[in-house]
Amino acid sequence: MRMLLDPLRSAAEAAAGAAAGAAAPQGNFVTDLLAKISPVEIPWPLLVLLGALLGSGFFLLLLFITPYAMLAIWAERKVAGHIQCRIGPNRVGPFGLLQSIADGLKLLVKEDTIPAGADKLLFVLAPALVLASAIAMFAAIPFAPALYFTDLNLGVFFILAVSSLATIGVLMAGWSSNNKWSLYGAMREAAAVISYEVPLGLALLVPVVVSGTFSLRGAALAQEGWGGAAWYLFRDPFVLPAFLLFYTAALAETKRAPFDLPEAESELVAGFHTEYSGMRFSFFFLEEYAAMFVVSAIGALYFLGGWSFPGLTPLVEHLFGRGWIFNAVAVGVFSAKALFLVFVMMWLRWTLPRIRIDQVMTLGYKYLTPLALGCLLGAAGWELYVVPLFGGGR
Amino acid sequence: MSDEARAATAPPRAVPPGAGDERWIGELRPGEREVLLDVKTQDMEVNMGPQHPSTHGVLRVLLRADGEIVTGAQPHLGYLHRCAEKIGESVEFLQYLPYTDRYDYLAAMNNNLGYSMAVEHVMGVEIPERAQWIRTIFAELNRIGSHLISFGTYGLDIGAFTPFFYAFREREWIMALFEKVCGARLTYSYIRIGGVFNDLPEGWLEELGRFLDVFETKWAEYNDLLSYNHIFVERTKNVGILPPEKAIAWGCTGPMLRGSGVRWDLRKDLPYAMYPRLEFDVCVGQGRMGTVGDCWDRYFVRLLEMKESVRILRQCLRQIGPGPVMADIPKTIRIPAGAGYVGVENPRGELGHYIVSDGGKIARRCRVRGPSFCNLSILPELMPGTMLADAVAIIGSVDIVVGETDR
Amino acid sequence: MVAYLKNVWAGFWTTLVGMSITAKYLLRRPVTVQYPDERLPIPDRYRGIHYLEQEKCIYCFQCARACPIDCIEMDALRVGKELDWKKFTLDYNKCMFCELCVYPCPKDCIHMGKEFAFVVYDRRELDLDLLSAKGLTPDAKERLAKAEAEKQAKAAAAKAAAPAGAAAPAPAEPPRPASPPAAPAP
Repeated sequence: MRMLLDPLRSAAEAAAGAAAGAAAPQGNFVTDLLAKISPVEIPWPLLVLLGALLGSGFFLLLLFITPYAMLAIWAERKVAGHIQCRIGPNRVGPFGLLQSIADGLKLLVKEDTIPAGADKLLFVLAPALVLASAIAMFAAIPFAPALYFTDLNLGVFFILAVSSLATIGVLMAGWSSNNKWSLYGAMREAAAVISYEVPLGLALLVPVVVSGTFSLRGAALAQEGWGGAAWYLFRDPFVLPAFLLFYTAALAETKRAPFDLPEAESELVAGFHTEYSGMRFSFFFLEEYAAMFVVSAIGALYFLGGWSFPGLTPLVEHLFGRGWIFNAVAVGVFSAKALFLVFVMMWLRWTLPRIRIDQVMTLGYKYLTPLALGCLLGAAGWELYVVPLFGGGR
Repeated sequence: MSDEARAATAPPRAVPPGAGDERWIGELRPGEREVLLDVKTQDMEVNMGPQHPSTHGVLRVLLRADGEIVTGAQPHLGYLHRCAEKIGESVEFLQYLPYTDRYDYLAAMNNNLGYSMAVEHVMGVEIPERAQWIRTIFAELNRIGSHLISFGTYGLDIGAFTPFFYAFREREWIMALFEKVCGARLTYSYIRIGGVFNDLPEGWLEELGRFLDVFETKWAEYNDLLSYNHIFVERTKNVGILPPEKAIAWGCTGPMLRGSGVRWDLRKDLPYAMYPRLEFDVCVGQGRMGTVGDCWDRYFVRLLEMKESVRILRQCLRQIGPGPVMADIPKTIRIPAGAGYVGVENPRGELGHYIVSDGGKIARRCRVRGPSFCNLSILPELMPGTMLADAVAIIGSVDIVVGETDR
Repeated sequence: MVAYLKNVWAGFWTTLVGMSITAKYLLRRPVTVQYPDERLPIPDRYRGIHYLEQEKCIYCFQCARACPIDCIEMDALRVGKELDWKKFTLDYNKCMFCELCVYPCPKDCIHMGKEFAFVVYDRRELDLDLLSAKGLTPDAKERLAKAEAEKQAKAAAAKAAAPAGAAAPAPAEPPRPASPPAAPAP
């Protein structure tokens, strides 16, 4: 793994890229391998993307997504339990930590049913597509200055675009199930995602305007510093509301309560995955938790200073330089921030009632979109006219 | 949108887009083909229930829906029919008592009370005062327990999971209180013909006082968590509006009627047990969030009634005195020929028992007027024009117990 | 515009209020009682599986008659004053634990116990026999034997008395106290 073997160089490169405004796409070891073994020459951007996707698919799924999702499902149940004055899972393993593994095993051995009258091809494809989009999203997420699969210069929009792929999977699932409730769920998902892409993108443009880069890694590198004052959240009065707007829209994107209409339990039984059982059902589950992490990671990288933590990361950098130790600490800090945002999502889920579909639309179009636009204008104006007053700016 | 409405608004047919020319619809050029865009659509029939998370049991509602808009609803009952009335005509009076527990199983004490009062009315027995106090206490305590379930499941219907558990946490204490007195947690058979089965155990009233103190703090929490939550308010205000005239015309009772602003409460208007000696208010919907008679009003009337019940219970605790708890009635009850109807204010509305006796041990006729059944009948009236999610909100706000609608 | 901003504020604020409540409980101890390991105390008046004080029972059918669903069946033979019990079954497929059978018992011999977890593999096993012993209880047998012996002794004494004057019959021992109430059904 080149990037792991030579963290300093890639960090320096990326920093230079960030300073220049746009990081050049970088390959990883999978890219190199692909370039070596491919009989025909693959165009460089495609090679980078392929490398990132394959790398994230193989390694992240095994090393990160599955363990994370299991932990997150356990955490969700535990949080739900304690919020509701219950205990939550506590039978399998210490504190019930192995509950997710037991559930996973159960799902594996469950009968895989396909309802009569279902569109079999779509029914089988849908969970795979959904999971694929979840894995692909991880491709563009940097976990530390030197731990990433690819540093796309349009990283944010790559993630947003790929995350919308899941919607197609959900639509396929809802349509092919031959169940009216599933169809309702799928339609709601499509409507919600289409409406919320807009405020989500607009809210994300605010830190993009501030940082001047679409690259997640570049933005995170730009927020490093001693005091935490470099976090974009504290940069100007428009980023904090933009963060709240982003977070709200992200909830809707990931089908989390109060926007869990596609699977609204009390209305649509289980929504688009009513008819799924066994492993296919668990794919939808995995996707939900993976998507939660991805949007939280974007939030952490773009608003909450990425892997920098006041006092901690600069100290580590001062003592040990930007080597292995720094990267390890960075992964820890970044994951902690992202997981905190995931925890807030769970907290919200067990607090709030569900919104109605027309209110989802109203909120998206009448509230989030104009407010996000306002924030974007404000942030842009701040960067143009206020930052130069203090001697900053480009 | 119905077929007709769609046909009226949508253009009958269109042509492939031309190059910036304006033509009348239907005008064709050589080589162009007519494309019918007005696809024949029809409303979808969706079967909500009998196995659906938010129909509160085995109610089945046949919904006609145009996308998310409900255009018609037809409740189908009878999945839980257990011939309760017929059983009432084939077993002895006392033997029917356990069956009354089972129609509105969330308010079994109130059902016991209603049936016992009807039989006592036909018999013409005097009930000792302490028994009356105990009956009042249990009716109110069970009203709190029943409304707690209503509150919790309504939150669940709207999508908030947590209030349900909080409601059950408090209900558990009520259950424990009942268990200490009569040994059962759901089907009490405690209030019996002639009084109550046995006296309160030592220290029970003090524990009830402690429960009331705790419950009042929790009650305020319920409001902060759910009642005033913006999403909850938006979901329930102006939804399923039931105007007072309609509520009366359809025979709605209980919180359903009071939610529409009609001040009618049997405890106040046709008082029984110890209610004439108690001070309490009849809570009515005031349209605080939206219109009078919407789902939020119905929901909030229940919450206010819990508060009133606490007030009543505190008065009972102060006034209850010693004495016998059972009137002197024979073990095998024979009722002189006659008939009588007694209605009591159940948590869900008026529960009436009409009993006809021909002088024997078994009732000639035993008719039950169930509040949920009458309240549910208005569903087809409230549903059309709402959204699918509102349908769930409306069913939840009617607060049915299917055991009683089907009986 | 004011309404618009008010709406935004209301949504934001009430969410925060709700989150503060749930956070409060997140940090508190759960109220769960983990049933098989910990159990709540069962109150004295609990209405669980019945138990029968067979010694006291006089086979009067009052409880069976009071039962709304006729789930009590009993069968016994009267041998003198003693009861030769064949069965006293209570069908828990039907029983609804209403306690109406306890109330009319003249001898106060049928009670509702504290057992509630009653699990069987076959529903026929739910037709539970409440008798602690079938047939004549050892006590009853003893009493019957004694009565028989007395009778014979009396007869013998009468016979002996006819030729050889009065020989007082042995004074009857006072009957032993009834055995402790039958244990609650399994």
